Amino acid sequence: MDVIIVMCLGVLAGKFFFPEKWKRINEILQTVCTVLLIFSMGVMLGSRENFIGEISELGMRSVLFFLIPSVTSVIIVYPLTRIFLDKKSQKKREGE
Amino acid sequence: MVYLAAAALAGGILCGMAGLDETFPVRAITYGRDYILYVLMFLVGISIGLHRGIIGKIKEYHVRIFVIPAGIIAGSLAGGIISGLITGLPMNQSTAVAAGMGWYSLTGAAVGNLAGAQAGSVAFLSNLLREIFSFFSIPFISKKLNYYTCIAPAGATSEDTTLPMMIRYTDEENVVLSVFNGVICSAAVPFLISFCYNFF
Repeated sequence: MDVIIVMCLGVLAGKFFFPEKWKRINEILQTVCTVLLIFSMGVMLGSRENFIGEISELGMRSVLFFLIPSVTSVIIVYPLTRIFLDKKSQKKREGE
Repeated sequence: MVYLAAAALAGGILCGMAGLDETFPVRAITYGRDYILYVLMFLVGISIGLHRGIIGKIKEYHVRIFVIPAGIIAGSLAGGIISGLITGLPMNQSTAVAAGMGWYSLTGAAVGNLAGAQAGSVAFLSNLLREIFSFFSIPFISKKLNYYTCIAPAGATSEDTTLPMMIRYTDEENVVLSVFNGVICSAAVPFLISFCYNFF
């Protein structure tokens, strides 16, 4: 929840105070933060005791348990968005 | 960006394995992870704020805004059932693991409490891998399918850590939908884990 509040503060800053010409700097800072977050995820994985053993023992199972639900989510969401959401933008484009 | 992300992940794993996680810069990054996320969310908020008229666009969706979280929840649970059938893990555990939708810290602990340490480890690793996978799949999905579908692999993480990839590879409107989806999925995760474990 606190993350959402911080983002809302950012929205207000962007709407009322943030100069448009600094947009590029904002994008660069976002990239830096993202890279640092992914790096910290890697450290968390690598520093787990018996990481290699865990990966070889539970790795295949974990891979299946992330890959299949991710792919089935995509398989279900894509047609739903084509039916319920894409039409809206298509109609709007036709209207324009 | 994808190469940068891959290099950051590999570098992080190597640092962790080499025992550098307690040295100065690495420790500062891992311990300051929450603050980095706050800064990132503020910056993402600025990007949305700079985009005029976005709230009006979102209002046009009405109840159809629930299509994406509903699809993600259904897809994740279906994936949990299929994964359970392949690996032989009991259905209640397999669906509970998949119900995490990328929220690895909560799912690892919750499934560990309910089903034991091994299932907890699978829940932690698989949900962490889902978050990492969504970073790398967003550019591909935005190009080959559509912007909305980029939210699907991100699941519950679409409101925070995967947002920068959304803003880079989709648009501000999709970012707002992504946040909405993340809130709904995150709220559903604790309930779904408990429901799946007890009723499947």
